[in-house]
Amino acid sequence: MKQRQLWIVLLLAWSLAPMVWQLISSFSTNDALIATPMAFQERWTLQNYRELWQSNPPFWLYLINSSIVASVSTLLTLLLALPGAYGIARLPKLWRQNSRLFITAAALFPYVLLFLALLELARTFQLGNNLIALALPYSALSMPLALLLLSAAFEGLPQDLEDAACLEGMGLLQRLRWILIPLISPATASTGILVFLFAWNEYPVALTWISDAKMLTLPVAMARIAGTSVYSIPYGAYAAATVLGSIPLLVLVLIFQRQIVSGLTNGAVKG
Amino acid sequence: MNVLLALPALLLIALVFGWPMARYTWLSFHADSVLTGLVPIPNGGANWVRLLSDARFWQDSLQTARFAVMSVSLELLLALAIALLLDQRWRGRGAVRALTLLPWALPTTMMALGWRWIFNTPYGPLEQLAAALGLPSLNLLADPNFAWMATVAADVWKTTPFITLILLAGLQTIPADLYEAFRLEGGKPWQSLRSITLPLLTPYILLSLLFRLAQAFGVFDLIQILTGGGPASSTESLALYAYLNAMRFLDFGYSATVMLGGFLMLTVIIVLAAIALRSIGVLRPVK
Amino acid sequence: MTIGRRLLIMVLTVLMVLGFGVGWSRGQAVEDVRILMPAPFVDATASLVERFNVDHQDRIHLSITRGPLETESISDLAISSLLLGDPPFDSLLMDVTWLPKYAEAGWLEPLDRWFDSGDEDALIKGARLGNSYKDHLYRWPLVADVGMLYWRTDLMEEPPTTPDQLIEISERLQADGSAKYGFVWQGRQYEGLSCDFLEIISGYGGHWLNSVTGQPELDSAAANQAAQWMESLLAKGISPRAVTNFAESETLQAFKSGDAALMRNWPYAFAELQKDDSSVRGKVGITTMVAEPGQQPRATLGSWGLSLLKGSPHQDATVEAIRFLTSESAQRERFMERGYTPTQQSLFTDPALTTRSPVLPDIGKALDVAIERPPTPLYAQLSDVLQRRLSAVLTGEQPVQPAMDEAQASSEVILKSAGGSG
Repeated sequence: MKQRQLWIVLLLAWSLAPMVWQLISSFSTNDALIATPMAFQERWTLQNYRELWQSNPPFWLYLINSSIVASVSTLLTLLLALPGAYGIARLPKLWRQNSRLFITAAALFPYVLLFLALLELARTFQLGNNLIALALPYSALSMPLALLLLSAAFEGLPQDLEDAACLEGMGLLQRLRWILIPLISPATASTGILVFLFAWNEYPVALTWISDAKMLTLPVAMARIAGTSVYSIPYGAYAAATVLGSIPLLVLVLIFQRQIVSGLTNGAVKG
Repeated sequence: MNVLLALPALLLIALVFGWPMARYTWLSFHADSVLTGLVPIPNGGANWVRLLSDARFWQDSLQTARFAVMSVSLELLLALAIALLLDQRWRGRGAVRALTLLPWALPTTMMALGWRWIFNTPYGPLEQLAAALGLPSLNLLADPNFAWMATVAADVWKTTPFITLILLAGLQTIPADLYEAFRLEGGKPWQSLRSITLPLLTPYILLSLLFRLAQAFGVFDLIQILTGGGPASSTESLALYAYLNAMRFLDFGYSATVMLGGFLMLTVIIVLAAIALRSIGVLRPVK
Repeated sequence: MTIGRRLLIMVLTVLMVLGFGVGWSRGQAVEDVRILMPAPFVDATASLVERFNVDHQDRIHLSITRGPLETESISDLAISSLLLGDPPFDSLLMDVTWLPKYAEAGWLEPLDRWFDSGDEDALIKGARLGNSYKDHLYRWPLVADVGMLYWRTDLMEEPPTTPDQLIEISERLQADGSAKYGFVWQGRQYEGLSCDFLEIISGYGGHWLNSVTGQPELDSAAANQAAQWMESLLAKGISPRAVTNFAESETLQAFKSGDAALMRNWPYAFAELQKDDSSVRGKVGITTMVAEPGQQPRATLGSWGLSLLKGSPHQDATVEAIRFLTSESAQRERFMERGYTPTQQSLFTDPALTTRSPVLPDIGKALDVAIERPPTPLYAQLSDVLQRRLSAVLTGEQPVQPAMDEAQASSEVILKSAGGSG
């Protein structure tokens, strides 16, 4: 069907064109970005990437910082959410429904509004400029989504299974560890990857909790790089930073595509 | 025992989301600014009086609502079209789905920078395109009347994939025999959209509408990076104004008031929207 | 092993330990001083910083943190560091309007210990403003900046000195076709509009904020006249309607292309107007903004200065760096190489500098009548209110009087709610 192909091409163009433009910009000389058409060989350069690598602090540091924060946040969230979700899944019906309503409301909440209270916490408890501490608000903020997804998964498990394990004399922790959690590992993977993405991309909290240039996470570092050039067109360097910062996510999304989709859609269907 | 397991998680949520609201309520009745040495001092309802007469707050509220309504409705329409396309069976569908998901997965700050470059005057691709077509310079980000459209465009690009996925999940729950039966009864394909697809998709549409409306109402990253709220505060959102009050003006009491004011407004909008949608009730499943 | 060898080893050991210790303590003695500056200033001070570090080798190492380009963003960055505590800078290059906020928040160390009245007397009058808050010195000026009236020497004998004259001259020039527009200025809703308005309201003898009572006076007769006059410029076609969307660069562009007879701008514009692509090269004079007869013409103070952050462990070293960067020779160098206006009185009549830019004495005269924007910690909010109402007047959304009444009322509410009514 010709028509459908046309639409698919349009869809891909719409989704990818801005990224392709970034990619092209990142390999272009500043002259090529602002001047009238240039000779094809002259417009390409690796200079933008070299600059990022030589900048102080080097760009890869931000990638490392973001990886640390995102990994710790994901682990912490799952550690807290797995037992919590199980507990919610096993609550009496009325309680369970009310809990779900409450958690859904929290998931809907535009969390940017929390920044001031979180900033006060950071000041009071000296949590600023600490990557591990930053994982605390991140875990708390992703808790609603994690609970929704995981408790739905626990509810989907047949009750007989657990009863059987009980009869064999397994305690709660053993049941969770050896039977229930392995069975919901697809949901756990989805949840984990969504939390990781959230923590990797989060901006307002990181903006207020981190001021030290060496501790910045990627989104804040990007925003800061953007402001600090005297040139009106430092876009070659921005673009290179965008491309480098995107690569880990591209890889993640392409590998975990299925988990992300099922996480989001399960959240939609069951949440 | 189960309650004991559930309780910590629920308490954590109550704490993280509830405590700030309680704290803001308390702060909103205090002067807590650079003038008080960042120490809260009761000031009666002065912050709320100020909120009511604050032209910037009301302008930002309207702008935030405009942003939310425009971007969410465009996203819904686009997402519906894309979901219908992706719901059909064709080769390479999975790959295309993954690729269209990319804008959603990238950090907002990063792509906001990208969009700033795209809208750049005079070197961005849009300006160059306009120049090549002999059109006058758009100068989108410098024009107080049009800069908000740039923010909507960037948001639509970024968030449509999210809604698409939810709608796609909804589409896949609709049994194929329904369409078959409709066709046998002599219905045209485009009629089936109105009689089957949309009614059955309604819960998913409402869900994404609700979720996105709330998120769009709190828009912050995108606007802070793309326009900084300018020109002349014409793209400033409530969240950005609250942020500026705290971090730039050092007036925590008023910042808390702005956030509460915005939050109350959002709650009212969502409740009204829920009532309106229920009362219209045009979208009902066909028997 | 002989006694001699043992002794030798002992002596060597002692020497090594000593040497190590000395080297170590010398390593300790180098103090790291860090200053946060907006990006353009980083480039403008790079060579000075290099020289400072050579001169102070082994004692002080000065490094400049490159901050954002935009004025507000750099303050945002500084404030977020300060709010979290333990900021990674010892000194901050500050815009004149931030000082009361930072000082009131208790983030600045008073500089009174290091600078005396002799230092202050050496500054040009305008550069002495905006450095103190509540009787303490908190900032030492790096560059001076002041609002000026640019005029076309080929179109008029003398620049206008009163609002009426400005209108009269503009109308005459526009009527005989020698200028498309009379006067261009900053009419966009942003900080520049507040700066322009401050000059006009002062020219009518009014005040934005009364320095004695701390209360706004935007509903005064003078404030209304000032707003009325600005509105009439648009109504009479003396300024193009587009002025309502003009910031400095658009204003400069209009004047540079020869479209306007008069322009309000900052000193940097003069060098721009002498470039090859300027149509008004060599035909530009500068003076102070117009004022009613009998009123003192005023020039809004810009200017950046260095401050010392409280809690810096290197206070003396930081002040040494501040002194070096603001020294007469540093100012001379910045002026000759980058055109930044100096702050030292003596430099305004220095032949080397006046040859480089013949209008330097005129800038000096404007600095003598410089006026600060209201020195209150709430300046940013007050300015926003004013900009909003003025913009509404200029775009015809609101008549002058209700707009100014509203600006007054909103300003009062802001002062009250933030706890500053007393």
